[in-house]
Amino acid sequence: MKVRDTLSYSFSAIRLRKLRSGLTTLGIVIGIAAIVSLLSFTAGFQVSITNQLERGFATDTLIVMPGNLFQMPGATSSNDFSLYLNDTNTIRGVDGVEIATPVMSKLGSVQSGNMSLDLSIRGINYTEYEAIYSTTFAADMGAIPSNPANDSVVIGHSIYDPWNNGTLFAEVGDTLTLNYTYRDNGVTHQNSINATVVAVLGEIGGTSLGGGPSDTGIYITTDAATTLFGSSDVSSIVVKLVSDDKSLIDTVSTNIETLFNNDVTAISSTSILSIVDTMLGTVGLLLGGIAAISLLVAGVGIMNIMIVSLMERTREIGILKALGAKNRAVLGVFLSEALLIGLLGGAFGIGAGMLIANVIAGALAGGHFGMASSSGFSSNAGNLFGTITPILTPSLMFWAMFYGVFVSVLFGLYPAWRASKLDPVDALRAE
Amino acid sequence: MSTYNDKGRLKTMTAILEVNDLKKTYMMGSVPVHALRGISFHVEAGEFLSVLGPSGSGKSTLLNMIGALDRPTSGSLAIRGTEVGTLNDNKLAELRQQVGFVFQFFNLINRLDALGNVELPLAISGVPRKERRIKAEQMLEKVGLGDRFHHKPSELSGGERQRVAVARALVTDPSFLLMDEPTGNLDSKTAAEIMDLVQVVNQDLGMTVIVVTHDPNVGNRAQRSIHLLDGQISSDEVVQ
Repeated sequence: MKVRDTLSYSFSAIRLRKLRSGLTTLGIVIGIAAIVSLLSFTAGFQVSITNQLERGFATDTLIVMPGNLFQMPGATSSNDFSLYLNDTNTIRGVDGVEIATPVMSKLGSVQSGNMSLDLSIRGINYTEYEAIYSTTFAADMGAIPSNPANDSVVIGHSIYDPWNNGTLFAEVGDTLTLNYTYRDNGVTHQNSINATVVAVLGEIGGTSLGGGPSDTGIYITTDAATTLFGSSDVSSIVVKLVSDDKSLIDTVSTNIETLFNNDVTAISSTSILSIVDTMLGTVGLLLGGIAAISLLVAGVGIMNIMIVSLMERTREIGILKALGAKNRAVLGVFLSEALLIGLLGGAFGIGAGMLIANVIAGALAGGHFGMASSSGFSSNAGNLFGTITPILTPSLMFWAMFYGVFVSVLFGLYPAWRASKLDPVDALRAE
Repeated sequence: MSTYNDKGRLKTMTAILEVNDLKKTYMMGSVPVHALRGISFHVEAGEFLSVLGPSGSGKSTLLNMIGALDRPTSGSLAIRGTEVGTLNDNKLAELRQQVGFVFQFFNLINRLDALGNVELPLAISGVPRKERRIKAEQMLEKVGLGDRFHHKPSELSGGERQRVAVARALVTDPSFLLMDEPTGNLDSKTAAEIMDLVQVVNQDLGMTVIVVTHDPNVGNRAQRSIHLLDGQISSDEVVQ
């Protein structure tokens, strides 16, 4: 029996039992859709994270932070190690470093009139910071002073207009009160300083995953921060290198870490990206694995239905054999039914998966599903996901299709084999 | 072996079927059942043979063996010189392509139309699509169903269904037509029509016909009758 004749014969059998074939196919559709939607979404998420990292994190910069960021839980470490303002000078002395600038960051509150926002206040050196983040640390209103007075403050665009509705929190020239509360020996202290808004940054978008400027940032000078926080410890030191050569990045990272006895971690965009890649790869594998199990369940469904079908069609198998069909022709008829179900399920599954991934992306983005955030601050999470476009690569499509067909045929193998082995005399006698 | 037929032309007598001391034993649990106890006969080309006998006489067993659906326990059965007993499943299936089966219950594929059913054995033996369409149409016209090409079995009468079955059996140009109670499911008028058709096929096309039946009316149509009783031939005689 020719392949084309086998397929068209099988197709006529599938078409005859539309509901049953449809439900069997639906199992495969769900499995493939789950795989495609989860993997294309993960791929899109990965690209989105990568883009955000690359935006907030120039490739020629390192972030030096105290402690070991990616330490295994339970490993011993000196948790109380801190970096101080003057450590910046030490780092400046390392070969290959062009600029090193401290970032002091603490959670505090900002008051403007009777409005108040809780956020992280950062102390920076305006000139150096601007030199590193020239595209994002740029004034939209006012100007970033090169020789700032101690009471200067630069605010991100979301501080200027936190609710996106024209109710402004602060404008250039306004005076803000910054508060920082800390406990020391059981006594609660509150430090406050007043500062005048000198500049509002342009909208940056996304989140500052790399420690760069963000829309929700509020930036004062390091001197003012030392006064406000009551200490000169810094949360990180941003280092700009003379080039973005990979080996230079690695050398300088190692040198800086050695300089501080490995009590600091120098993070580069490449190292973060590789960690994020690994993490998302694992997540993708896990999600894909779960989806793949659902496809196996669909496979068991196919086997079940095919065995029922085999019992119903015993006589038909007898007729085929009486008309001269060889065992492998009967095997071919049943296997190609499984194959067709796999192909149909795969095609619809890929379409459905893409649809689902886009719906999820849309839902996370907010907008369309009534999840729009009410303030500029909580919309950060929305922004994070808002830029995700699920990615369906040809190879994902191929493997999804392949796996769908593979599972169908695999589970169709046993029923088809049983059909092919039926004794024609017994089969013809069947009701 | 040669003989003259009634029109005086020399007719070559070729053995289509040779059965020698054929035995078939089934096991019912641990009890052996001797369905055929040593049967011998020959069928020559162009013959119209009926095999008669009460139920339990071994008719069906013999039919399965002649149709290459089953293998004998001992003895020999050869279709056009090919011994059935020694063939594997695939060779046996190939041999079946030489047998034109017609069943009591028509055994058509219900989801295929008349043409599809007649084309099926050709598709199984790998005949190209165009060629088998032409052959199937010609054969359906021959059995008088020229206007029923695209009717499904459920849309046809019993007599028409059996005609489709006859067309399906003949379309592969088999060595012989093997009919199993071909009129068992038809009223007497339709049965007579089908047997008329079979006679035409036998006489005009020269097709060898073997009919297994317990209906004496069908048996009387044949030139030769073999009666089976308890797995043995009780008589083998020329009817007319």
